[in-house]
Amino acid sequence: MDHWTGFLRLAVQRKKETTIASEVFHQGALKVTPAIYFDDPQQPCFYLMSLGGGYVDGDRYKLEIHLGEQAQMLLTTQSATKIFKTINHPAIQEMNIVLERGSYLEYMPDPVIAYEHAQYQQNTIVHMNPGSVMIYGDIITPGWSPDGNWFCYHTLQIKTQVYLEEQLVVFDHLQLRPANDPMAGIGLLEGYTHLGSMIVIGERTDPELMERLSESLKCCSSVAHIGLSTLMVPGFSLRVLAYSTQDIEKIFRSVQKLIREHWFGKQVTSFRKY
Amino acid sequence: MDSYLLSLLQLCDSNLPIGAFSHSFGLETYIQDEKVVNKQTFAAWLKIYVRGQLVHSDGLACKLTYEAMVRCELDKIWNLDQMITVQSFARETREGNYRMGERMIQLGMELYDIPTLALYQDRVKAKQSYGHPAITYAIIAHHLQIPQSTAILSHLYSCISSLVQNGVRGIPLGQTDGQRLLQEIQYHLLEAQRLIEGLSEDDFGIVSPGIELSQMRHEQLHFRLFMS
Repeated sequence: MDHWTGFLRLAVQRKKETTIASEVFHQGALKVTPAIYFDDPQQPCFYLMSLGGGYVDGDRYKLEIHLGEQAQMLLTTQSATKIFKTINHPAIQEMNIVLERGSYLEYMPDPVIAYEHAQYQQNTIVHMNPGSVMIYGDIITPGWSPDGNWFCYHTLQIKTQVYLEEQLVVFDHLQLRPANDPMAGIGLLEGYTHLGSMIVIGERTDPELMERLSESLKCCSSVAHIGLSTLMVPGFSLRVLAYSTQDIEKIFRSVQKLIREHWFGKQVTSFRKY
Repeated sequence: MDSYLLSLLQLCDSNLPIGAFSHSFGLETYIQDEKVVNKQTFAAWLKIYVRGQLVHSDGLACKLTYEAMVRCELDKIWNLDQMITVQSFARETREGNYRMGERMIQLGMELYDIPTLALYQDRVKAKQSYGHPAITYAIIAHHLQIPQSTAILSHLYSCISSLVQNGVRGIPLGQTDGQRLLQEIQYHLLEAQRLIEGLSEDDFGIVSPGIELSQMRHEQLHFRLFMS
């Protein structure tokens, strides 16, 4: 089956002191903004757009993101990924990301909001090469229903796999099915409503960074339940349970800020959406 | 009487010296958070641990390894070893599993002559594989001609019986309560085994967020009885 509701291919490459888009191809209901440069000519920012306003029954989206050697990219979405009622076939999003040697990607999409009876499968596969850096974070909200009840969606399934030099180094698989499991219960969301996951991979992850992260995250323990742990390769994962998207975004931003300071002596970029 | 019965009892004895008594896999975090405080709350935790962790990781890995053994598809087993190890975000849980895996492989080598297990050990020594108890268990169970469904169910039981003993020490609970819990969980283990039989590789590694978070947070606990 090669028919996609929306298809997007975005490739960037390093050109002297800057990174430029070398290929932008889109078809159907997916689009991307032109590159926007905030403070740094090396780091173009792109906003992904879904033209339908949300994913519906049987929708299939595919995104291919490619960063050439030494290229950099900030990638986000223009708004939340909304999954509407999907009774027959789940909405599917497949995303393949390739990071060539020495490239740098920050991918921080807006949250996933699943409406009543929504089914959604998200598959993300990242192929990294030596010296590349990835900062990735996503957020799952309790969804939306007309009567204001939370967790009325059917299934959210989010699978993320990261390969470093063809070796699987991260395998993250979440499946939330509110009808089967009491979401608030022990072991699930522990009484919280929002779930954030962050994966950071970069050779410069060291004990000092982990120490600083763990110290700085202590201040958030009143609004969130936070797990931080190192991966099998230099890098770490962060899992956050909280009561709002904003709280998780704030935590993600503080992590980004620390990484940027620690690794590059840089300030964090605001996506300036609001 | 089945010829494998006594070997099976030996294999899932919680005294099997692979180090399971040192790992709570996040239970200790719940105990310190005062969310698991008595038999009732421990029973709730055990149930979600079975469904939210064992079914899609250890249990499914056991089934997929057994199937790969039947079909002689060794590459699948090495892939599974990689998947089940990197699948956990919690460093201590990963380390606990590959340490237990390594010891179980060694023990299996001492007790039996299984070519696949020897290969697995070579790969672990060469740092091509990590070693995992669920995979090792399935390789040994297949060698002992223990039927697949029995292998899966007994592996689930051995994981849970170790955790119940650790809970009895850590909460603490009386030994009789521990035995009652082991009896009450039987229904859930049977249900889990039936569920696992219907799963495929696509379902692998689904993890319950709270369970995993407790395993990640265990690193930050000040006083610890357990290594994970």
